[in-house]
Amino acid sequence: MNVLITGAAGGLGRAFAAECGRRGYSLFLTDINREGLLCLQRGLERQFNITVTTKACDLTNAESVNDMLELIDRHSIRFDMLLNIAGLDFEGSFMGREREKIIEIVTLNNAATLRITHAVIQRRRKGRCFTVVFVSSLASMFPMPLKATYAASKRFLLDFATSLRQELKEQNVNVLALCPGGMVTTRESMEGIAAQGFWGEVTTNPLETVARKTLDRALDGKGLYVPGSLNRTLSFLGKLIPRSIVAAVVYWRWNRAQNRWLNPAKE
Amino acid sequence: MKTAVITGATSGIGFETASLLARKGFRVLGIGHSEENCLKAQERILSENPDAKIAYFWGDLMQQREVLCLSRDVAAYLSENCDGELNVLINNAGCVRSWYATTDEGYEQQFALNHLAGFYLTHGLLPFLKKTKGRIIITGSKSHKGIKVRWGDVMLSRGYNPLIAYKQSKLCNVLFAKGINDRYAAEGVRAYVVDPGLVNTDIGNKKTGTLVKLIWALRKLQGVPPTVPAKTYAFLCEQEKAPEGLCYYLCRETTYSKQVTSENASRLFALSERLCGICYGREAAV
Ligand SMILES: NC(=O)c1ccc[n+]([C@@H]2O[C@H](COP(=O)([O-])OP(=O)(O)OC[C@H]3O[C@@H](n4cnc5c(N)ncnc54)[C@H](OP(=O)(O)O)[C@@H]3O)[C@@H](O)[C@H]2O)c1
Repeated sequence: MNVLITGAAGGLGRAFAAECGRRGYSLFLTDINREGLLCLQRGLERQFNITVTTKACDLTNAESVNDMLELIDRHSIRFDMLLNIAGLDFEGSFMGREREKIIEIVTLNNAATLRITHAVIQRRRKGRCFTVVFVSSLASMFPMPLKATYAASKRFLLDFATSLRQELKEQNVNVLALCPGGMVTTRESMEGIAAQGFWGEVTTNPLETVARKTLDRALDGKGLYVPGSLNRTLSFLGKLIPRSIVAAVVYWRWNRAQNRWLNPAKE
Repeated sequence: MKTAVITGATSGIGFETASLLARKGFRVLGIGHSEENCLKAQERILSENPDAKIAYFWGDLMQQREVLCLSRDVAAYLSENCDGELNVLINNAGCVRSWYATTDEGYEQQFALNHLAGFYLTHGLLPFLKKTKGRIIITGSKSHKGIKVRWGDVMLSRGYNPLIAYKQSKLCNVLFAKGINDRYAAEGVRAYVVDPGLVNTDIGNKKTGTLVKLIWALRKLQGVPPTVPAKTYAFLCEQEKAPEGLCYYLCRETTYSKQVTSENASRLFALSERLCGICYGREAAV
């Protein structure tokens, strides 16, 4: 099984890479962080004795992606699975953020993800099933004031995945959208989740389990995975309650959490 | 003048041990996580004891490339200032986690810091320890008892339980010490494990979740101050003749898990060598 993972050097990417390593898959890893990729490559080779190839690449830059595709074609690498893990998340109000940072979210989470997905499906291994995973988010299920751009970009991925799944069904391609709650992937997210207090922690999904179950489900032909029973309940409620009320509740909660996070001294 | 290297020397047990050894006339090379905490610790030790010979080095011991840099920097310092001699290496830095989290190599963090970092650093500093027939002391814990190493999945990525991961990393500490003695006691280098007991430090409050923080806040109140275990390290450093035991608690030999066999120690040695990409017996020459 040849798997390409984007955003491989981040917390979730590393968890997916390790899960694939355990299963003995061959990996092609990419990330913007070159040094992180090399560390991960070493770690995976030492742990699992698998073939790992890495290429640092800025997915938002067409030229950089073309360089990577050229490398892939030069070595005639063909894939059975694509894990779209690369994504960006900034906290804060729309007007309170730097303009270019907002554009960056959509550029990476959406435009760049489509670019690489199109290119890698074209490079699928002939005569075999192909699997694509998009990392959406629990946030895609609700309107999310103070995370508006991020949540909408994740909603885009969720809807896109559902449609693409239908389009490619007959070509033996399975598309799955993963919608996790918070995950402890970086030092900031550890602190962020702690700042959200109780609700932050109970909607947090264990990384290693998410990685394993996502692969199980994607290979089993499933189209959506919301990890954690509480998160599934929340996403169900999100569909019942009018969106404007959800938005008000979410705003209230986030506003408090962010104040607590940004001004811990007030406690 | 004898020289001691201590990791995690900016707070808790490591800090008090550094401070005590400096007062006892050791030259102390402390290793910490951040520049800020290292400079603070150094200042505190010097303010209480202006004659202390103390220097700090910093880096993230969870990341192997930083362990390598640190071990090279310390090695250079030892060659330049200490005739290439090191008397004591104390592998003490450690952490507790509430969730499965990995290092840049994709290794589970408690395993990486509590065990692998010390394994890697010791490899780099062994040539200096050999010159003095030096001692290696590892901070273990009574909690290493009652479990086995999960050889098929040492990173515990299946059914992760942070407490089991901690216990396993502490079992690895004892196995590593045993492995060192099996290989190097004949050359005069010996390794020991100190069980510090329950100690009132902030280890449970760093990068953990509310539940662990809460439990630790209550539990640590029952702990002794870190000056208490510091004495056991000093005891092991100061004995003229190398003590014969493996694990020590309050300056006395103590028991350890039945899992600590030469066979398991060798198995861990081989696995750790692979995970660090190093080979004991092929250390750099001084
Ligand atoms: N407290 C207890 O009851 C108890 C019981 C049994 C065993 N132990 C063991 O005792 C040892 C020391 O713990 P402690 O209680 O003294 O806790 P502590 O006060 O938190 O000390 C840990 C030390 O390690 C450093 N450190 C943490 N992460 C690091 C990293 N990634 N790279 C480099 N340095 C890092 C810390 O520096 P920063 O603060 O700058 O991060 C600090 O100096 C640990 O091995 C622990 O497992 C403790």
